[in-house]
Amino acid sequence: MKPYQNTLLAIMLVICAGRVLGAVGVSDYSKGAFGKVNIDLSNKTSLQRGAKYFVNYCLSCHPAQHSRYKRVADDLGISEDLMKENMIFTGQKFGDLMTVAIRPEDAKNWFLGIDPPDLSTHVRAIGPQAVYEYLKTFYIDNSRPFGVNNLHLPNTAMPHVLADLQGLQKPVFHEKKDKSGKEHKVFAKFEMLQSGVLSETEYEQVVTDIVNFLAYLSEPAQLVRKKIGIGVLLFLVVLGVISYFMKKNYWKDVH
Amino acid sequence: MSAESQGLLGWIDARFPLSKMWKKHLSEYYTPKNFNFWYFFGSLALLVLIIQILSGIFLTMHYKPDAELAFASVEHIMRDVNWGWLIRYMHSTGASFFFIVVYLHMFRGLMYGSFKNPRELIWIFGMLIYVALMAEAFMGYLLPWGNMSYWGAQVIINLFNTIPFVGEAISEWIRGDFVISDATLNRFFSLHVIAVPLVLLGLVVGHILALHEVGSNNPDGVEIKKIKGTDGTPVDGIPFHPYYTVKDIFGAVVFLAIFSVVVFFVPEMYGYFLEHANFDPANPFNTPDHIAPIWYFTPFYTVLRAIPNPFGGFLAMGLAIVVLFFLPWIDRNPVKSIRYRSFLFKVNLIIFAITFIILGYLGLNPVTPLYQLLALRFSELYFLFFFVLWAYNKPRSMMFWIGSFIIILSGFTLYDVYQSGALCFYNMYVECPDNIDLVWITWLIPVVYLTITLLLPFFNRLASEKKVPARVTL
Repeated sequence: MKPYQNTLLAIMLVICAGRVLGAVGVSDYSKGAFGKVNIDLSNKTSLQRGAKYFVNYCLSCHPAQHSRYKRVADDLGISEDLMKENMIFTGQKFGDLMTVAIRPEDAKNWFLGIDPPDLSTHVRAIGPQAVYEYLKTFYIDNSRPFGVNNLHLPNTAMPHVLADLQGLQKPVFHEKKDKSGKEHKVFAKFEMLQSGVLSETEYEQVVTDIVNFLAYLSEPAQLVRKKIGIGVLLFLVVLGVISYFMKKNYWKDVH
Repeated sequence: MSAESQGLLGWIDARFPLSKMWKKHLSEYYTPKNFNFWYFFGSLALLVLIIQILSGIFLTMHYKPDAELAFASVEHIMRDVNWGWLIRYMHSTGASFFFIVVYLHMFRGLMYGSFKNPRELIWIFGMLIYVALMAEAFMGYLLPWGNMSYWGAQVIINLFNTIPFVGEAISEWIRGDFVISDATLNRFFSLHVIAVPLVLLGLVVGHILALHEVGSNNPDGVEIKKIKGTDGTPVDGIPFHPYYTVKDIFGAVVFLAIFSVVVFFVPEMYGYFLEHANFDPANPFNTPDHIAPIWYFTPFYTVLRAIPNPFGGFLAMGLAIVVLFFLPWIDRNPVKSIRYRSFLFKVNLIIFAITFIILGYLGLNPVTPLYQLLALRFSELYFLFFFVLWAYNKPRSMMFWIGSFIIILSGFTLYDVYQSGALCFYNMYVECPDNIDLVWITWLIPVVYLTITLLLPFFNRLASEKKVPARVTL
């Protein structure tokens, strides 16, 4: 290669470093392929449904050990009786933390060395969108211990607990050549092999409800935080106006 | 107020200098009347300190400094303690705002020469506060016992490992264990909650006492004490109270509004104030994808990473902080304020500010070949700033400018050649390293900087200071 070409290439690198670097290491499905999750914490019914799915499908293995049943009930407008009847299966008390009976040592044995992460905080670390894509991209893979794999989290240790709802799907890849001529398998779409109890839109709603609930659970203060913030800001605006004119008045005689 | 106070105040004044202190530090502390926007940040730093101490007291009531319980106790504060989330967010946001305010406060000092004779000690006190604040923030960051707390502390404490012979012993001594553990958490809690705050408060008192001894500088950099009226008070001075107390109240309200926007609407500040990985508990077996220190440390972290030799990097990072202590003896130009400094001084200072921000940005991101070189180049700019600042002390000969230009240029060019093996010519004799083009392109950054700051002084117009007025301007 001629030297000036080297230099030119380098200049291009400097200019588009951000983009070039961004392009490397993208996972094998394009971002946004599964849509963006719509988090709406004001939708109490969605949160309630999400809570129901959560205690039924997740809470057997995943604890939410920093959250209390009572807090969830209060925040979501669920009565104590209703909560005890439909949400607390373990004989725990209403004010107890949402822990699980599974022992971490056992969990590690069962789930390929992974202790199911606590879902009251982990969702805040990875963000709701990640959970949304994770729950939508399980697919059949007989090479895996639980017969399923995941597009978002390849070789996941978790079985597809929602399979009876969603059904089982299989990914279709197409070949794509990159600039250097190498062939890559790129994810194209899912094909349903065995349909579940729910239609695609119904399943989509279930996942949204779960993720919505988990987003709430990761920081319950979200329900009131912004409302209080607006009040605080209004107060500060008034105080600001008063203190501005007070300053102006005091400074009248400064030349 | 009469000379002899009556009643209760009189009783107290006979036993304690209450009225005397009130007068000396507030009602008869004469302050230049021309303070501008940049002069809010001193009182705001005090405000943040108070916010941190008060919110910290309440956090300490519920927090548990125990490796088994710490993470859960923070979540307990966030969920079960009444208004706990607000107190926690005030404290975490306060930490970042403390540094924002302090950086702006320090930059004000640079702009208006506030560290110059007779205010060198105020600057030294301020720098000690800054260093104590970094220690305070670093140890506080471990306490939530999140995964980023754990690994961030791991990275920082391991820096001491690079010290020859005694490094490992020192980091072991800091941790109190061979790894970061319960012992580390406990001692960091103790230091964060009692030891460093005590030091900080003492230093703040020293900072303010030293300031009130010599009087405040101002945006014009003129000494108001030089021209006094018939009543013996500076004609350009006004009593701090009530003039600046009412002005600072307004500043505090504006500040609190901005502070509240973060606390109530974006407490994580998109992962910059509260890093996402920190919502997973500390896990020695699971390293976060990318460990970056919290944003206010990243400029110095980049200087550290710019040097391939670990101990060299450690020294460079230390030097980047230590050099700031010597500012009063580096910039000895008699003209204090940027308003009357030369055009090139302004350019130099602006480049320094941009350099600091770029260093901070680089430190937040993973190392790539390009970023690695940029880190080196902007670290060079960081240190060169102080040389140029010194060079602008007085008019210099043409020989000085050309000589220093050539010496510095060849200095870091030789370093590049040595460091990158760039001593190759179109692959003719030895193989060129892969990033050879990047090395030479980024090489232009300090070259351009030196050309501007060391060769443009040929034009007197650009390098000469303006006349400083006798009195402050409004």
